[in-house]
Amino acid sequence: MRSVKLISLFSSLLLLTGCWDQTQLNETKLVRAAGFDYLKNGKIRNSASIPQSINTDTGTGQVNNQIFHAVGNTARQSRIKLDRKVSEKVDASKNLIVILGEEAARKDIYHILDVFYRDPKSALNARIAVAKGKASDVLSARFEETETSIGVGTYLNESIRSAEDAAIVPVENIQTVCPIMFDPGQDFALPYLVAEKNAVSVNGIAVFHGNKMVGTIHGAQGVLFTLLTGKQKNRSMSLTRKISNKHKDRILNYVSIKVKRNKRTFNVNVSPDDKISAHITLNMSVVITEYPGDNLTSKKKINKIEHALTKSLTKEANNVLKKLQDMNSDAFGVGRKLIAFHNPTWKKLNWNEEYPNIDYTASVNVKVIGHGIIE
Amino acid sequence: MNSSHTITHRQLFFVIIQSQIGVGVLSLPYTLFAKAKTDGWISLLLAGLFIQISILAIWKLCEMYPKQTIFDFIPKIVGTKLGVVLNILFVVHLFSVCVIILILYNSIVSKWIFFQTPRLVVILILALTCVYCITCTAREIARFLMLVSPLLLVLFFFVAYAYSDVHLLYAFPVGAAGIKTILSGSSDALISLLGFDTALVFLAYTQGRSNSKLKVISYASLCVTLFYCFVTFTTYIFFNPVEIVIVPEPVLYMLKAFSFKILERTDLIFLSIWIVFVTTSLISYLFFTAKGVQTLFKLKHHKSAAPYVGIICALIASIPGSKLDVQLWSKLIGMSALCCSSLFPIFLLLIAIFRKRKEKGAVST
Repeated sequence: MRSVKLISLFSSLLLLTGCWDQTQLNETKLVRAAGFDYLKNGKIRNSASIPQSINTDTGTGQVNNQIFHAVGNTARQSRIKLDRKVSEKVDASKNLIVILGEEAARKDIYHILDVFYRDPKSALNARIAVAKGKASDVLSARFEETETSIGVGTYLNESIRSAEDAAIVPVENIQTVCPIMFDPGQDFALPYLVAEKNAVSVNGIAVFHGNKMVGTIHGAQGVLFTLLTGKQKNRSMSLTRKISNKHKDRILNYVSIKVKRNKRTFNVNVSPDDKISAHITLNMSVVITEYPGDNLTSKKKINKIEHALTKSLTKEANNVLKKLQDMNSDAFGVGRKLIAFHNPTWKKLNWNEEYPNIDYTASVNVKVIGHGIIE
Repeated sequence: MNSSHTITHRQLFFVIIQSQIGVGVLSLPYTLFAKAKTDGWISLLLAGLFIQISILAIWKLCEMYPKQTIFDFIPKIVGTKLGVVLNILFVVHLFSVCVIILILYNSIVSKWIFFQTPRLVVILILALTCVYCITCTAREIARFLMLVSPLLLVLFFFVAYAYSDVHLLYAFPVGAAGIKTILSGSSDALISLLGFDTALVFLAYTQGRSNSKLKVISYASLCVTLFYCFVTFTTYIFFNPVEIVIVPEPVLYMLKAFSFKILERTDLIFLSIWIVFVTTSLISYLFFTAKGVQTLFKLKHHKSAAPYVGIICALIASIPGSKLDVQLWSKLIGMSALCCSSLFPIFLLLIAIFRKRKEKGAVST
């Protein structure tokens, strides 16, 4: 009797799984990278990278990078059309990165992203980036680096991750941009990718206003942008700055630093006559990673370098702020501070018109706390 | 009453906590936001204060009629005939609470994970599990509710992880909604805090000094209020105030974006733990209902009522299909539950005190 009970008990375990909601891996094709472009007629072209490993006799799985394209009126419709072109069911729940073509980014990106926010299975932690030109170009770009062993999704994802580590681009994913997209008092920025001959490079930052891209920031300014967001620590936040013109050898005029600590104070003030001013102060502790001029023994010399760096970075930081004001992108959230602490003022003003005209400044204080293992 | 049926103070504490934390936690920030905007967490704290009054009333009632459940002492307070009517009404109210727990559980589960599975299956799985759980004594139920309580820490940890990406400024300016809206928001908060009323039956089984019983229930409800407040506040600084209006389950949605090195889709893990908390609140209410049915039909043991109660609830719960139906049901049942669980004990207490005075007066003259 006991064994009958046990057997029926264990066999009933088989029923527990049910058979309604199954998603079987061998019946799905996983999208690892998705791209969206607007066509001239306003339709959306969806490109998806679906890597497939090829089984060889030796057993090492090579990856066949297949890119599929489909055109539809909306993001979802183009996905459905894409599904018809692929043998199995397309599943985007393991998506790593979404790439928006520049033209699509300059229109309302929420219209495209809605499908990601709405679908309970979508990968909200996928990175998101803007491509110069067409997203499909970036997705179908040839990249020499380990092309046979990883898919383009992994490749792009890793390139952006390393750019994030170097603080060239801010860290964002589909979900983290969403609250900011809705926020009237703050804007965001995304990595800006450029397809080159044999690689895709993270070229800078695509700056947004509301849901629309309004411009780009390149190079060292990207690092300063990230520093100005108040990001504190990173594995390698490096900058190379020119600090003098004296030397004939070009290389001797430069110093490379690595930011060890970055502390931001961000003040927004409203004067009695409703004039808004904002000021960002960055206190950085840096380590000198390259200075061929050497001679860092004396305090005076170090002070000189600190002074030169302070001056040059302050200037650059103000350039970044100026640029952001010109593009009308409130990436550091002056408006948010106003909403929180100066609510009556905020309610009166039209932020889109006011922001480019506010008094917005930055100052950077650099302190050298180390110089590697030589002086 | 058999001595093996009693529960300790500590068990009572967890019984109350487990009954209170339930189906509401996922959408609570959203419902609160609808009225009190980003000050919803203040409404919640106020609601926590309000329910303290009901808790006092419940405790006083149970002190006046020790070792008796509400179904035993209602007839003693209002008279036998009216007592039976009120008992029936109260059992109907308890049925409706069980039904709404099942409805809300199903609507979330079918929206987030089981898209294809038929409603009735999802509901029956939970209902039958709970029926099995309540066929035992109050002590065993209390032990089970205590056993699963450590899971609360996991819930806490997941929500706390959101602090890796929050915008503290979203909570400012504090109090912008105005005192009136904050107050009106707290009625919604009250509904989510319901569950302390299971004390009306569990207190009868609790041993020990009467004063410390009150302390235990109050602490339990304080803990739940603070936990809810923490969850609500966290979602308010994670989502933009404009965004939260379109996210009905903010707690889950927030977790969907997080991934750890070895874990992805933390929302699904959260959901599975959340189901345990739904189960526990359903267990307490089903037990409560079964006790009521036992008294009404003068059964020997509540065990024999349990399967009928469970299956009837499950069948009713599978009626509403569309989102709007669910909203309507939850609004109606929410209001009735608010009256029956938090206001009714206060009225009952007032009548009881009035009667006692009268009796005393009659004796002394």
